[in-house]
Amino acid sequence: MENNPSHDELRELLERFFGPSQADSAEQDIRDGDRLFDGSPSPPVAAELLTEIKQRIAVRLSVPHKPAHLLYRYGGAAAAVIVVALIGFFGRPAQEPSDIRYASLIPAAIWDSDDIISDDMKLAYFRSELRRVEAQMLAIDADDGEVATGALDEVEMELIRIERQFWKE
Amino acid sequence: MGASVELTQVINGCKSGDAECFAQVVDLYGGRCYGYFYRLTGDRDLSDELLSELFMKLVEKIGSYKGGSFESWLFRIALNIFHDHLRSRKRQKKLVEGRRADVERRPTETAQSDLTGDKLDRLQMQLNRLDADTRDLIVLRYYSEMSFKEIAEIRSEPIGTALSKLHRGLGKLRELMEG
Repeated sequence: MENNPSHDELRELLERFFGPSQADSAEQDIRDGDRLFDGSPSPPVAAELLTEIKQRIAVRLSVPHKPAHLLYRYGGAAAAVIVVALIGFFGRPAQEPSDIRYASLIPAAIWDSDDIISDDMKLAYFRSELRRVEAQMLAIDADDGEVATGALDEVEMELIRIERQFWKE
Repeated sequence: MGASVELTQVINGCKSGDAECFAQVVDLYGGRCYGYFYRLTGDRDLSDELLSELFMKLVEKIGSYKGGSFESWLFRIALNIFHDHLRSRKRQKKLVEGRRADVERRPTETAQSDLTGDKLDRLQMQLNRLDADTRDLIVLRYYSEMSFKEIAEIRSEPIGTALSKLHRGLGKLRELMEG
């Protein structure tokens, strides 16, 4: 590497930084150093290694991949959107909104109406069931002798069934 | 056709993803870069790994090369790869601190021995006795063939500082070789 192009500027640089008197010895040291390296070359690179590297490069180039700059661009845009959304969500001032609307689990049709039961089919069904049971109870009460002995049990079972159905709903 | 024009064409080919052009770059710089890594590490296997990493990195980064000295650009990547390697080895060393006996069997400095079993040449042995920074500078200058301005730029230090260190370092190396 004796023809090192940096040698062209070496003398000028050395004189500038070390002065003319020291530049000679500095230049000599540097040239001696180069000769030292020239005389002790490092082990040569294995041809197999270079071939392997070329193959790896060819494989790498043959595999289509998204260019990194596109990933950065779209990744950055996505990150920006998320940040803006988070700022919008968490960064609102902690003041009471002027117009508060409360949500309810009860359908609007019910709490908007004066007659809750008429607005809900399920409640209407339970009301009819209860009325039927009530009628049976009245019948049992009115007709002591003719009602079978199991009638009370049947009514009781019916009530239990209705109760279960109610809580399932 | 001038060498620089030819190199420019090869690099343009690399930028367009031409594997043949990359192969030419590997042929052109493989030997020098290998020598650079070997003189820094004193280890052939490790130099093989670092050289492979360098050229794979080149494939990744070729798009960011905007002209100027290609060698300077390439050796800057090589220098970063070597420093990354040192950092990862430091991390590795910390991880196995508890197993001191094991650690002692590992090469602790950048180059204490050639793991392939080859005897280190005299120059390599004396290079290993220099401090890491001086060794980096001497090896970088010799193998990269960069100008002092470029070397100083890569090392983020004034040209005068780089020159002084090189002068002192080479003087020390000569003493060691003669001793």
